[in-house]
Amino acid sequence: MLKIVTISITLLLTIFILSLIICIVTQTNLHILLTSIASEEIRFAIKLSLLTSVISTLMCIMVSIPASYALARYNFPGKTLINTIVDLPLALPPLVAGVGLLLLFGTTSFGNWLADAGLEFIFTPLGIIIAQFAVNISFMLRILRSTFEGISPRYEYVAQTLGCTPAQAFFRTTLPMSKNGLMAGGIITWSKGIGEFGAALMVAGATRMKTETLPISLYLNMSCGDLDMAIAAATILIIISFISLYIFERRGGIFHLY
Amino acid sequence: MIRIENVSKDLGEFKLDDVSLHVNEGEYFIILGPTGAGKTILIETIAGIYRPDCGRIFLNGIDVMDLPPKDRSISMVYQDYMLFPHLTVEKNIGFGLRYQNITSSETEAEVNEIADLLGVSHLLNRYPGTLSGGEQQRIAIARAVVTKPKVLLLDEPLSALDNRTTERLREELGKIHRLTETTTIHVTHSFEEAFSLGDRIAVMRDGQIIQVGAPDYVFRKPNSEFIADFVGVENLFRGKSVVHDGISEVHADGICMLSSTLKSGDVSISVRPEDIFISKKEIDSSARNSFSGNIMEVKDMGALVRLVVDVGIPFVVALTKRSYEDLELAYGTRVHIAFKASATHLF
Repeated sequence: MLKIVTISITLLLTIFILSLIICIVTQTNLHILLTSIASEEIRFAIKLSLLTSVISTLMCIMVSIPASYALARYNFPGKTLINTIVDLPLALPPLVAGVGLLLLFGTTSFGNWLADAGLEFIFTPLGIIIAQFAVNISFMLRILRSTFEGISPRYEYVAQTLGCTPAQAFFRTTLPMSKNGLMAGGIITWSKGIGEFGAALMVAGATRMKTETLPISLYLNMSCGDLDMAIAAATILIIISFISLYIFERRGGIFHLY
Repeated sequence: MIRIENVSKDLGEFKLDDVSLHVNEGEYFIILGPTGAGKTILIETIAGIYRPDCGRIFLNGIDVMDLPPKDRSISMVYQDYMLFPHLTVEKNIGFGLRYQNITSSETEAEVNEIADLLGVSHLLNRYPGTLSGGEQQRIAIARAVVTKPKVLLLDEPLSALDNRTTERLREELGKIHRLTETTTIHVTHSFEEAFSLGDRIAVMRDGQIIQVGAPDYVFRKPNSEFIADFVGVENLFRGKSVVHDGISEVHADGICMLSSTLKSGDVSISVRPEDIFISKKEIDSSARNSFSGNIMEVKDMGALVRLVVDVGIPFVVALTKRSYEDLELAYGTRVHIAFKASATHLF
């Protein structure tokens, strides 16, 4: 009985999820889909999405490697509090993070100073990158922190006695041994970056052919009733999700996100 | 060679408490102690992984407190091997050679030579994850000694292995030490390892060194109840063994014992006190080892009585109080003792 009930609920859930996807991809036919994808606007959105998500993912990796290493390996005052704070974006609604970014870069002297230096974040593609970074950094940090925690520091000790400086020991042992964690974290961060909407909308706005990523394109075209274009953007996002989920499962099924 | 002066280090869970030690050039030095005694931090501190809270460490008379691990010429082997899983066996062994000024063909030659010595040549292209514990530990040892360190630190190198592998590797550690004459500090909780390998032993407990001395001395004259309990073995002798007619003849301190364990060369032999028969009359039994001497010590342990009989070397004999009284034994009584060749433990 228990078996039948639980399996039935699982099946219903599967059908529910599948029907969402089927509804989207059957909304249009292949010809219209391909034409829409080939349109200048969607091609721009694809390019902008790829560019921003790749850059923000690289930024997440560059910051997460040292930060998660410090959190995994060292004890320092305030570590518990810092651990909680750096995890905060996981629970924070992206819209709220976006408002924070808008205020930080748009109203403070720090923001003005950056803008004067040529780094203008408000209503620009740079804003999209910083929004993706702010929302996704905690995911990367969590995955890498648990990866580093799972690797005994003694590998580095041995490497140090064999002639490495502490930094060389890290780059020659712990880092290459973290390959799976890095891949899994990179893929999940990248695919979340591609789909990032709320925070990016707040900071960079939704300007056609300027800050128009795939999710922004979906939103813009839905609001003005251009269903074909909206479906094209949605279909591409679905394909990206499938691919990244597949790679994530293959590479990092062993890592716990939460 | 290595001088440690009043070193303390507190890592919370483990600590070193005012440790002073002196290890001689070329010595095989054992640090013996139970889990949690601080043995691992001690050797990690010697390697330079931790900086002592206070105290000093000298290598060949030079203060190494400010020397990073890479410049100390010290290699380390851990209980769980710590082979780099992303590198082949060959790359693992050659890891440290990369930082020495030698050509790649010299590196290859050195790796091959040490791999030969440790019998792992056929594994060079494999990855560590696919190897047995014994194979992994041989490779870890090869990786540590290939750089020709001045000091080799071994942290429970045999504890994760099965009995047979442990025995073989123990002999090989001895062989490597004789061959390279590298000053070695070997951490263990096994008295057998300590007794068979150590030139000297330091016994450690709660972050402190509580006795240092030659193995015989520490085992015969434990300076505390703790060491006596921890060592837990009496009637332990070192000697030379010759095998003939399917039996080992062990000569130790002028007496000859027979053992059914076949092993020749330098050996350690032990007999449990409760496996020794004692009598005032000559013992006529199947026991192949028979000696006579006087009772030198009588200790009442409650239900048991513990005697020390001097037959040229002191044997501890345990018997029940009832038998002790029935046999009418006392201090100074001349007695005969005997034990079976199969009751001995040879290693």
